[in-house]
Amino acid sequence: MRLLLLPLLFASFLYSQNGILNVSWPILNIEHQKPSVPYPLILTNSIKNTKLPVYIPSSYVYDKQMIVVSDENFYTISFFIKNATIMIAGDRTFQETISNSDMELQRLLKTSSLEFIQEEGIMNIDFNRHGVNYTLSIECNNPREDKRCTEENFLYKIYNKLIIVGGKK
Amino acid sequence: MKYFIILIILLNFNACVKQNQKKQTIIYQNSSHNKFTYYPSGQLIPRSSGEGRYGDNHIYAPNIRFPLVDAPAYINSQVYGIGGLYGKKGSLCDQKNYQYPWSDNYCEKRGHAMPLCQGGKGHQGVDIRAKDCQNSKYFALAVEDGIITYIGSYSIKLRGVSGRTYRYLHLNSHSIEVKRGQSIRRGDKIGLVSNNMGNTKTSIHLHFDIKQTIRFSNGSSKQVYVPPYSSLVDAYKRLLEGRP
Repeated sequence: MRLLLLPLLFASFLYSQNGILNVSWPILNIEHQKPSVPYPLILTNSIKNTKLPVYIPSSYVYDKQMIVVSDENFYTISFFIKNATIMIAGDRTFQETISNSDMELQRLLKTSSLEFIQEEGIMNIDFNRHGVNYTLSIECNNPREDKRCTEENFLYKIYNKLIIVGGKK
Repeated sequence: MKYFIILIILLNFNACVKQNQKKQTIIYQNSSHNKFTYYPSGQLIPRSSGEGRYGDNHIYAPNIRFPLVDAPAYINSQVYGIGGLYGKKGSLCDQKNYQYPWSDNYCEKRGHAMPLCQGGKGHQGVDIRAKDCQNSKYFALAVEDGIITYIGSYSIKLRGVSGRTYRYLHLNSHSIEVKRGQSIRRGDKIGLVSNNMGNTKTSIHLHFDIKQTIRFSNGSSKQVYVPPYSSLVDAYKRLLEGRP
């Protein structure tokens, strides 16, 4: 029966409607957030026009080897650590909209609990903050044996130490 | 008793649908007599490989270029194909792995959390074999204009101008023709299809997936891996017609 319902469900599923998400900017204590040592220029220059809260793992914020790829609506930052790459990305665009009437699909998509998953050997977590979607991941050179990629502990610690370092309102 | 009879009828009906589904192969042939066959989206082969999104024919990424240079190419299961972990015994290079019809393997059984798959877990993308089993011979291409946002030891992310992120896995890391932050055009070379999975190896194939943000009409949103199969079938038909 489910097989019969699926085509009907998806016939009404998605309609093209892309755009920009509304950002609910957090109220920050500027003094509290101000770094004691200025952030590297590679970071501050790259995100000066990025219109979403830019999160970064606090342990790597002064890593001058980081690679930042960004524009107004997204950023991706890579950090190269021994035999692995950490990535944090934020994006405030959307590509499709679902009608509220598609209740089953809404239910399928609204799994709200944070879940660290290993997919294709890459440990990953997707999360939403301030109305924006973020991804944090670690990819290991040895994905089947490196515990940073087979267990969630390493990424969990990084996730818990994310800080906002910029973003243009 | 009445409910029991209804239940039996429904179960039989469901079984009939599944049986018909199994037989269904779609034949595509264009004016140049280029022909290829494929199973419908969501019809996983073998059936034991999981439950796909049968009936979801939505083209999530319209007008993308097919991610390999030339036809033929083959979308089918690595894990359940010949020589795969759960497949028939034999060589991964068996000729039967390199023939039509295509079969979708999005939502194939995996431990990965996947909200759009039945049961909430499954394969995030599809596996694509190139023309034959030669390692590091066939280039993967950009499916859309965009920017390379990430290069790891065996994965590359292209963020298209549409905002979708296309992920290419298992390209030969010594063959990568793009750099992080580089803007590239649809059809530009990215790297060679190989069995690279860091220091470990996998079968020779391209894992390709599409991640995008879906917004609910109440304003909230979620990033998900969407089914790429219908978009790729559409792209492959255009490739066969000589207008990739």
